[in-house]
Amino acid sequence: MKNLIIIIVLTFGFFSCEDELDIVNPNALTNESFWQNESDAIKGINSCYSTLHRPGFSRWQPMAYDLRSDVGASFSPWSDLANAMNNFIQSDSNFGPIVDIYFDNYAGIFRANQVIANLPDIEMDEQLKSRILGEAYFFRGMHYYHLASLWGNVALQLEPSSPTDLPLTSLEADVWVQVISDLSEAASRLPYSYNDYNDQGRITKGGASALLGKAYMQIQDYSNAKLALDDIVVGSGASNYDLMPDYYDNFKITSEFNIESVIEWSYIDNPTEITDNDVATANHNYGTSIGQFYGPPGIGFTDGEALRWVVGEFEIETTVANERDPRLPVTFLYDYTDEFGPASTLVYGQTFQQRYGNNNRVFLRKFLHDHIRDFEGFRGINNYRFIRYSDVLLMYAECLNATGATGDAYQYVDRVRDRAGLAPLPTGMSQQDFLEQIKHERLLELTGEGHRFNDLKRWGDLNSSLSSKDSGFNNFQTGKHELLPIPQIDLDINPNLEQNPGW
Amino acid sequence: MKKKSLSFIINAPSLLLFFLLFVCHSFSQNQITISGSVKDTEGVPLAGANILIANSSVGTSTDFDGNFQLNNVSPNAKLDVSYMGYINKVISVNGKVLFNILLELNNSFLDEVVVIGYQTIKKRDLTGATSLIDPDISNKNITNSLAESLQGLTAGVTVRNGGQPGQNSQIEIRGTSSFVNSNPLYVIDGMIADANQTINNNDIESIQILKDASAAAIYGSRAANGVVIITTKSGKAGPLKLSISFNTGVQNIPKTWSLMNSRQFADMQTTSFINSGLTPPLSVGANFNPNIDTDWQDEIIRMGLTKDFNISASGGGESSSYFLSGSHFENKGVLIGRSFKRSTLRVNTELSRGKVTIGENILLSNSNTKQPLGSFDTGNPFFDMTVMLPVIPVRGDDFINDLNPGGWGIGNNDAVTFAKNQVAVADILREKINFAKIIGNAFVKVDFLKGLSYKFNVGVEASYDFSKGIRRNGVTQFNAAQRPSFIADNRSGFKSFLIEHTLNFNKRLGKHNINGVVGVSDQQTKRDFSLAVRTDISEVNGQIFTEINSATGTSTSEGGITDHYRTFGYLGRVNYDYDNKYYLTLTGRLDSDSRFSKDNRTGFFPSIAGSWRIIKEDFFDVPWINDLKFNASYGELGIVTLGSFDWQGTINNNTIAILGNIPQVGSYQASLVNPDLRWENRKTQNFGLETSLFDNSLKGSMAYYNTLSEDALVTNLPIALYLGNLGGTPPVNAGSIRNTGFEFEASYKNTVNDFKWNVGFNLTTNKNRVEEVGNRGEGIDYIQTGLTRSKVGQPLGQWYLLKTDGIFQNEAEIDAHNLNGNLIQPFAQPGDIRFTDVDGDGSITDEDRDFSGSSPWPTLQTGLQFGANYKGFDLSLQFVGIFGNEIFNSVRRELDSYQNTNFRSDINPWTPSNTNTSDPRIGVSLNDQGLVDNARFASDRWLEDGSYLRLRNIQLGYSYNDALLNKLGVSGLKIYASGQNLFTITDYSGLDPDVQGNGILERGVDNGNWPSSRIISIGLNVEF
Repeated sequence: MKNLIIIIVLTFGFFSCEDELDIVNPNALTNESFWQNESDAIKGINSCYSTLHRPGFSRWQPMAYDLRSDVGASFSPWSDLANAMNNFIQSDSNFGPIVDIYFDNYAGIFRANQVIANLPDIEMDEQLKSRILGEAYFFRGMHYYHLASLWGNVALQLEPSSPTDLPLTSLEADVWVQVISDLSEAASRLPYSYNDYNDQGRITKGGASALLGKAYMQIQDYSNAKLALDDIVVGSGASNYDLMPDYYDNFKITSEFNIESVIEWSYIDNPTEITDNDVATANHNYGTSIGQFYGPPGIGFTDGEALRWVVGEFEIETTVANERDPRLPVTFLYDYTDEFGPASTLVYGQTFQQRYGNNNRVFLRKFLHDHIRDFEGFRGINNYRFIRYSDVLLMYAECLNATGATGDAYQYVDRVRDRAGLAPLPTGMSQQDFLEQIKHERLLELTGEGHRFNDLKRWGDLNSSLSSKDSGFNNFQTGKHELLPIPQIDLDINPNLEQNPGW
Repeated sequence: MKKKSLSFIINAPSLLLFFLLFVCHSFSQNQITISGSVKDTEGVPLAGANILIANSSVGTSTDFDGNFQLNNVSPNAKLDVSYMGYINKVISVNGKVLFNILLELNNSFLDEVVVIGYQTIKKRDLTGATSLIDPDISNKNITNSLAESLQGLTAGVTVRNGGQPGQNSQIEIRGTSSFVNSNPLYVIDGMIADANQTINNNDIESIQILKDASAAAIYGSRAANGVVIITTKSGKAGPLKLSISFNTGVQNIPKTWSLMNSRQFADMQTTSFINSGLTPPLSVGANFNPNIDTDWQDEIIRMGLTKDFNISASGGGESSSYFLSGSHFENKGVLIGRSFKRSTLRVNTELSRGKVTIGENILLSNSNTKQPLGSFDTGNPFFDMTVMLPVIPVRGDDFINDLNPGGWGIGNNDAVTFAKNQVAVADILREKINFAKIIGNAFVKVDFLKGLSYKFNVGVEASYDFSKGIRRNGVTQFNAAQRPSFIADNRSGFKSFLIEHTLNFNKRLGKHNINGVVGVSDQQTKRDFSLAVRTDISEVNGQIFTEINSATGTSTSEGGITDHYRTFGYLGRVNYDYDNKYYLTLTGRLDSDSRFSKDNRTGFFPSIAGSWRIIKEDFFDVPWINDLKFNASYGELGIVTLGSFDWQGTINNNTIAILGNIPQVGSYQASLVNPDLRWENRKTQNFGLETSLFDNSLKGSMAYYNTLSEDALVTNLPIALYLGNLGGTPPVNAGSIRNTGFEFEASYKNTVNDFKWNVGFNLTTNKNRVEEVGNRGEGIDYIQTGLTRSKVGQPLGQWYLLKTDGIFQNEAEIDAHNLNGNLIQPFAQPGDIRFTDVDGDGSITDEDRDFSGSSPWPTLQTGLQFGANYKGFDLSLQFVGIFGNEIFNSVRRELDSYQNTNFRSDINPWTPSNTNTSDPRIGVSLNDQGLVDNARFASDRWLEDGSYLRLRNIQLGYSYNDALLNKLGVSGLKIYASGQNLFTITDYSGLDPDVQGNGILERGVDNGNWPSSRIISIGLNVEF
């Protein structure tokens, strides 16, 4: 009898088996069985790089920066697009292309958050772990950079998402704080360069520092911006960078990952691709389609183009050799891209005159493929140099000027001007005049590369007075249109979120 | 109690004298010793029968031979003799010392024993809402599954059937509380398994349905939709009893559509085209062939046949009992190409020695189903045979071509229809499925103390399913995609293994009774499959090669483990009662389930129930009320509605990083999963009353229930963009549904005369209300499907359709239907349907859909059973009545759309000279928006009253008397004839108002529902 009780108690006890209730899915790799080793860590961070060729990020986002600024415009027959991208009219906050930008950035943040959360527990080489974490922090910082620039007051997701997350809206200032924190973390962990060719395209210390500098500048913290850029301008990192002798080399597929490239997004062709959705199948499009959307009529959709007044800005100064600024034809495809005029300017195999007659439209050229082929398409392969060293130099000069060291700043501007063949600047400018000069330099150096909107906002120049250059600004309301509207989908689901002011 | 020998009893008279003398000397009061035996009416000794001296706590029990002895009994005492399952007897001692007591088996309902999950208690001690079903009544029906046989037999249980051979039924207990799953838990001899079409219903001894938390809570995390407990037959002590039964019947579809023949169709189709100013197609015009007049319903429907053969052998001895049964059931279906066969073998044994009992129940079952293979062009026969045109032959030389070597008649440019030729379907697409299953349990029980026993129970269910499907070369439908022929072999295995330890206790202290069970239960379930497909079948000289290796095309394969989960739980129940008057039951179950993440894995499911037998109170003295008892219970139950791995996020390997100019794999978890996935919860309340009147001849019970499910799983919720989720959206436990209802059951039995009869009636009302649907975005408090809307505050799946309002008789009426001068239906013509502009925006759009109060839920569900018995003849009747629900008749919508379909023979289209009709004008809808609108799918034109009253079963039998039987050497012989689903009274124009629908949210949609068959059968039962 006593024995029976003992047996019963033992068998009862035997049964409290918690681990036996851990049954892992045998049909597919799960979160529980992943994130175990070095190979998993590398695959995890690789997913972040995949965001770069999602259409919201690779196509609509650069368009949103340039067309909504005073250098670009949209006369697209898709009137909703033209209105949202050019005319500051967007009645539907769920408008597809704008929502795509918002979503792709958050998809990238979700990917980065998974790496950041899961990597610390992996047993692997500590140095490699630190580097990969650096890449992840960079991506999160970069995506929040874009969300802060375009939407300002957004939800901060700093942990891998859970379906019940109902975050509050974080004010723009706080989002910038997060951007700076993440990019600083990234810069401290990343190498200057990668030895293995198979790592070409991974983000470098210089890239993180450059974007960190931009972030500081956006919040007018020029002294910290300068500190962030010190390393790659005057410090030990500077030896990694220089300016390409031929400006055009920054925009051709034949000279990718050159010495001027600080942050570059790779695109290659996948001829059998069937979708742009990078999680639906491995056989997806990893090219860029922005060429198709900027392509001039007959080649692409021309959903975006440039405004003529910028051409005039290039013509103010000639080079030392009394020639036209060589950056003009690289930036724009227009009737005088070839100095001899529309009868000589070639546009994808035909002359400008043949295609458009005496039209004075100006098309943005830096993303196009007309240097190698006579069509565009959705599978563009021209890498996007997001930040170039000339941009870094001009940023550095702007910081020096803003912190009262204008005298030091001239050398950096002159270096950029010199590459373009222009004479050094006359010294002795006031801080205000120097800033105006920098604005002009950035216009000539960086138009059509996705920075103009942020530049205008930083300088406080984003207002309806720009309507003289870009009629879209007639609709610009200060205090509202600096930011895009938060998509109504998110507001409907999460009552904690707030719509941006005025929307 | 010492074991008495036979000789002692024989010498009793002399001993009696001795005792009398002894007694005279020892006591002044003459206490005596009595002894005797307790047997049943057949002379079988009853071991363990209680003999109590009335009004005292002195007593004894009979030993294994049924003998007893009791000392110090007053000669004037009364003895209270009782034995479970038998009628108590009170015997006056009157100075006697020897008693041969015979107890009668108690047929009274109240002394019946009921299995309520890990315990067996008397029905009169139940504190909860438990329905008992007599398998003899449910088995009068020839059915595919147990659920199907329960229709109409008890309150609170809704069963919806279908007639396909081997088809499963939809069963709901006390309404539907989940958006995902309404199936109850089945427990067969203590093994948690599924009582589907592989079980032989004739093996069933008793069926209990636990409807509220009182009894069901012991199954905790799986009991929220109710529990059906099935006990299979066991042997009874006695010599071998052999029982053979045979039953065969013919089956047909009681109602078919009345459709046009080819001549009538040609005339109507011609009218239609001419009305639209078009040339009629050649098939009804110039090329009309009077020799082609296909009655498609006739071609596909045939007489079905059922055969059911059962043989069982049972018996037992002093320490063992056995029950063996074998059965074979065949059903040739009422449609061509479909049949079902099942053979089973059951062995139930029980052996005991001393305190130890061991036993097992095992069923081996093998079923074979033949049916057309489900593919993109298999279609639905009850749809296709109505829509298919009578001017198309089943087969014709004109149709022979490379794609259609069989020459099957399908639509063509001259006779357009997209219906499938179902004769072709049965020929081209074939599937044979074999289910081989073993299910059973084995146990060891140790009664190591009086009132304390331990049981170790192991249960097993394993099945191996093999489905071979082929698709031959051919087409079944006009303009269907061309797909290669193929062979598909699908093998799947299912294993479920249960281990339980339980301790049962039972103690009586005077008038206090306490019994209960504590235990632990562990169940593991696994399901896997592999599928191999190869294209390009070989057919040579009329022989079709159906093995994969004989196919010559490309191979594809799939496989995986679709389910693997484990549930582990502690269970306990305590029943206390005082004098059978006040009852209290407490139940608790603590379950852990691997289908949830660690944080959500464990749940606790308690319940409390109480009863008050008011009739035992002194103040209650109504002579004609034999029993009156109130019950109340409250508890929390759960149900798992998830897959085995749903809480685990899977890694997506499709992302690509372009590094070093080449694509490199990126991996991460792309779709969110909900780590908080957990049980759906159901809090149930039950208030009931049971009564028995007029010498237990009239019994009644009533119950009111109120259940609230919380954490009901909702799927397809919109998901915030800031989550960065790609791929599917995770389900969330955010729904809530309330069910309230009233149940009433009454039965009357008259056994006084030679003509014995009984009648039983049950009635159920159920009100269903959606309380929450999850966060679907601001302002959205409903789940929408094509035809229904489940909105907070309304029942689940209410019809949400456009409202029609008669027919426009003339242009003036069309003009009058305007908003501020703008026509609401600008394309309408006289003879078209008028729709109501519900949202007042001046046009008819999806926004004009609305609730109309029409519901797929019945307001009243009833069942009636009648039985009568007279000198060997017996008659039984079962009626089912369902009232107040509305059915959406998709098939009629197709017919009445007038496009590419045959017509109802009583169609009466509107014309300017024929205006008194509800059928709109007929024409070709090409470029005619008015005709397109008339046939709009989501409109209330297709809603019909689904109420019905059906004679579910009638059986007339004759049992031969003993005299004849003895001559034949047989102990029982009965012959009978029965009719099932003989007639149905309903207004519904479709084939059968008993509709299974399209899932939980569209339960009343008749999509070509397979109607229940009418079966007329005869049978024979012989016992040896």
